[in-house]
Amino acid sequence: MKFGIGAAAKRTEDRALTTGKGHYTSDVLPANGLRAVMVRSPVAHATFTISDEAIGDVEAMDGVHKVFTYRDVAHLGPIPCGFFVKNPDGETATVPDFTILQENTVRYVGDAIAMVVADTQMQARDAAEALMVDYDEKPAVVDVAEAVKPGAPQLYDQYKNNTDFDYIVGDEDEIADVFKKAEHVVTLDLINSRVVTNYMEIRSAIGEIDRKGRYVLTTGSQGVHSLRTTLSKSIFKEPPENFHIITPDVGGGFGTRFAIYREYPLVLQAAKILGRPVIWIADRTEHFLADYQGRDHVSHAEMALDGRGTILGIKVDTLANLGATVAGPGILVPALGSHMLPGCYHIPAIYSRVRGIFTNTVTISAYRGAGRPEAAYLIERLIDKAARDIGMKPETIRQRNFIKPSQMPYTTLMDRTYDSGDFAGHMKKAMEIADWKGFSARHRAARKNGKLRGLSMATYIEACSGGAAETAQVRLERDGSVTIIIGSQHNGQGHRTAFGQIAAEHLGVSLEQINLVQGDTDRVETGTGTGGSRSVPVGGASLNIAAGRLAETLRQRAGDMLEAAAGDIELEDGVARIVGTDREVSLADVAAAAIDAGAGGTLSEKDAWTPPHYTFPNGTHAVEVEIDPDTGHIDIVNYVVVDDFGMTLNPTLLLGQVHGGVAQGLGQAMLEKTYYDPDSGQLLTASFQDYCMPRAEDFPDIHFETRNIPCKTNALGMKGAGEAGTIGATPAVINAVVDALHRHNGLTHIDMPMTPESVWRAVNA
Amino acid sequence: MPKVSMTVNGELVSKMVEGRTLLVDFLRDTLKLTGTHIGCDTSQCGACVVHMDGSAVKSCTTLALACQGAEIMTIEGLADGETLHPMQTAFNDHHGLQCGYCTPGMIMTAVDMVKRLGVPDEETIRAELEGNICRCTGYHNIVKAIAAGAEAMNKSNG
Repeated sequence: MKFGIGAAAKRTEDRALTTGKGHYTSDVLPANGLRAVMVRSPVAHATFTISDEAIGDVEAMDGVHKVFTYRDVAHLGPIPCGFFVKNPDGETATVPDFTILQENTVRYVGDAIAMVVADTQMQARDAAEALMVDYDEKPAVVDVAEAVKPGAPQLYDQYKNNTDFDYIVGDEDEIADVFKKAEHVVTLDLINSRVVTNYMEIRSAIGEIDRKGRYVLTTGSQGVHSLRTTLSKSIFKEPPENFHIITPDVGGGFGTRFAIYREYPLVLQAAKILGRPVIWIADRTEHFLADYQGRDHVSHAEMALDGRGTILGIKVDTLANLGATVAGPGILVPALGSHMLPGCYHIPAIYSRVRGIFTNTVTISAYRGAGRPEAAYLIERLIDKAARDIGMKPETIRQRNFIKPSQMPYTTLMDRTYDSGDFAGHMKKAMEIADWKGFSARHRAARKNGKLRGLSMATYIEACSGGAAETAQVRLERDGSVTIIIGSQHNGQGHRTAFGQIAAEHLGVSLEQINLVQGDTDRVETGTGTGGSRSVPVGGASLNIAAGRLAETLRQRAGDMLEAAAGDIELEDGVARIVGTDREVSLADVAAAAIDAGAGGTLSEKDAWTPPHYTFPNGTHAVEVEIDPDTGHIDIVNYVVVDDFGMTLNPTLLLGQVHGGVAQGLGQAMLEKTYYDPDSGQLLTASFQDYCMPRAEDFPDIHFETRNIPCKTNALGMKGAGEAGTIGATPAVINAVVDALHRHNGLTHIDMPMTPESVWRAVNA
Repeated sequence: MPKVSMTVNGELVSKMVEGRTLLVDFLRDTLKLTGTHIGCDTSQCGACVVHMDGSAVKSCTTLALACQGAEIMTIEGLADGETLHPMQTAFNDHHGLQCGYCTPGMIMTAVDMVKRLGVPDEETIRAELEGNICRCTGYHNIVKAIAAGAEAMNKSNG
C-alpha cells in the first residue's frame, strides 16, 4: 500500500498552511466581538486593592463595557490540579486555590488582577493601562533553592518554607548503608533551568453564547474534551452539555497548551454578562508573563559504585519550582518524572526525594517531556561524571551498567517495567556512525588549530504513551471518502496524514480521500487529548482496530455485490476488487448500496484501545563539539541520533519530530533561560529580544536512524516519538562540552545554558 | 482618519485607516488576509513577512500609511491560481513545516532570498533566516526546502 503504514507520505495538511489558508483562533473572529485585555501585576509579590471609583473611572472611558475583577468571578471554581502525591506523613498534598482572578494578593509578575472589555483592542488596552490598582509590595523569592531557606519570603501561610509536597521513594537508611560500602561516591549538583514554551502562535480565546444558551469557547488547545471537563466540573459547575469547545488550527502546543488558562472562563463569563462575543488575543510578552513554563529543578545527586564501575545505588534530592500556583500537571511533572531516574541502568538501590516549592514566578507545567527530560538529564550527567571521576570511558561505564535485552521485561525500583530495548545496541551503532575511533585524531587536529574538541553522548529512555484510551471512529461516506473522528489534537504533528495512513492501510483509499475531524466537542464525542507522545501510539492503535473492522465489513458487502467470498476481496485505489481479476466495485458504490439498504450504520466503526502500561522509547544521541577558547562559541560539528521507537508510521514525520525535539533540547542546553531578578522578582526575559530562541544558524544537520525493536505493550508496537528528541539532546550536548573542558582543564561540570560567556569562563577557569 | 491606497496581491485597495495602524493589522483586520501572522511584539519572529515593492518587509513594523502607492504581496498572492509557487511546493516536499504558523513568513522570506541571491548554499540560507523563528522543525527541513525551492525557482526562470 503506497500511503499506508510505514510510507514516507507527504502531508495533506500543507496545502492550506503554505497558501495562507490555515485557520488559527485569531483568524476566525466573530464580526461583533468585543475585545478583552488583561490587567496583570507589575510586581512580584504584593497585596492590592482596587476601589469602586477606579473601576467606575475606567468603565466611563470611551468604548469600555466592563472591568471584571475577582468579585465578578468569585462564584467560579479555581483552575484545578490534576494530580496529587502523598507526603511522608501519609497525607495527600494539597494545593492553594488558583482563582480565575486574584482577590487581594499577587504572587508573580503577570499574575491576573482584572480583565477589561471594550469595543476595540486599542480602547481595551488604554483602559487596562488606566486602571488604578494600589499595591502594598512584599519581599519576593524567585529561586527555588532560596525559597526553602529559613527566613525566605513566604508565599502562603499554610505552606511552611514554601513547600507544597515532599515526595519520597526509597529508604534513607538502606541507601546510607549502600553508600557506606561503596568504593566510589560521585556527587553532582545540577540546575535544570526554566524555559518558556514559545509556540509561535500566541494564545487567544473567543467566548460566545450560542442560540441554545451554551458557552462556546474557541481556543488553541491540546484537546477540547479536557477543557470541557474542567470548565464544567471544576470552574462553572454546570453540566458538560452547556459547553461547546472548538479548537481550529494550533500553532504549536508542546505541553503547556494542555491545561486550562484563566482567560478561557473569563471570556465565557464576559460573553454571558455582556451578551456579545468576547475576544482575547495575547501578545508575545504576555506569553512570557502568563503562560505556564517548563523545567526549573535544582538537584543534588549522588551515585555509589564499586571498584569496577558497577552502580550500587543513587540518591537524589530535587527541589522542583512549581511557580506561584499549581495547574493541571504541575505536580505530576516532577513527581512522576522522578520515576525515570534509573534511566537505562540496572540500579539496585535508589532513594529519591522531590519537593515541590512555591516561588514568586509563573506556574510550571508540562513542557515537551514533562519530567522525563529532567530525569534523563540528571542520570545521564551523573553517569558521565562518574566515568570522569573514576577514570572510565563514558561508553564503558554505560555498557557495564545497562539493563540487558535478556533482562526484559525489567521492572526498576521506581516501578516502571521496560518491555523491550537494546541499549548497548543503539549505543554501538551511534558510536560507529559518529566515528568514535577517529576522534583522537580529530581532537589532535583541533588542538593544533587552537580549538577544544569534545565527544560524548546520552543514552536516554523515557516513559510515554500511557494513560486512558483515545477513542477513534472511522466512517466510509457515500461519496467513497473516509472520515476519521478522534479526540486527540493536531498541534503541528501532521495528524491528518498520520491517522490517514493507518486508515489507508486497511481501506485502500488515497490520503486526499481521508478527512480528519478533531477539535470540536459537538463533532467528537470523547477525547483524552494530545500529550505524552500518545496521539499515534494510543489513538492510532484504536484507529487501527476500527479501520480493520470496517475493512472487513466492506469486503463482506463488496463480496456480496460481486458474488465472491469476502476473503477474495482486496481494497485498493478506492475500489473493492476480486483479487487477481478486474471485477470491482467502487467504495462509493459499496457505501451507497449499504446506505440505501438502511445499513449505513455498518459503515462506521469505533474502538478505544487502552494502553496497559507506558511505552519506553530509548536511544543514543552522540555529539561532537568544537569550542573556540577565545570566544566561548560552541560549534556542534557532528550530531548523531539512533533511536528505538518500536515502529515507524511515517519516517518523514518521525524525523520532523526528532529534529524539532532536538532543537528544543539544544535550545535549553545552549541558549534559552528565563531570568528573574533575584531581588525584585521582575521577569527580565519577557520578549524575543531578551530570551534567546534557537535560530537556523545555531544548529547543524542531524544524522538520524532508527533501530526499532517492537514495543510489547503497544498494539502497534510503537513507543512514541514526540518528546524523545528533547530528552536525549540536552544531556548529550552538555556531556560533549564537558568532555572538551575536561580534556582541556579537568572541569567536570558546566551548567545550562552554555552561553559563550559561561563557556569562556569555564575554559579559563 | 487618513485614506491609504495600495495594491495588494494585484488588486487596488483604498481604505480609511487610523494613523497608527500597522500593515499587518491592515492586512488581517481590514482586508481579512489572515495568512500573514503575528508571532511577537518586537519584530524578531518573521511570521508577518510580506513583500513590499518586491522586497521582504516585516509588516508588524511597517505602518499601513507608509505603503501608499506600494505593491504588497502576501502569502495569499504567491500561488498562480491553483498552481503552487515552487517554494510552496518545496516546503511540502521537504516537510518544511509542522504547525504552519511561521510558514507564510518563512516562504515569503525564502522567495525574497532567492530573488536576491540566486541559489544560496546551506550556510547562507541559515544566516539569512536570522529574522525568522520556528519552534517546531529545528530548521533542518526548512533549510532543505529553501535550497530545493531555490533550484526550482531558478530553473523555471531560466
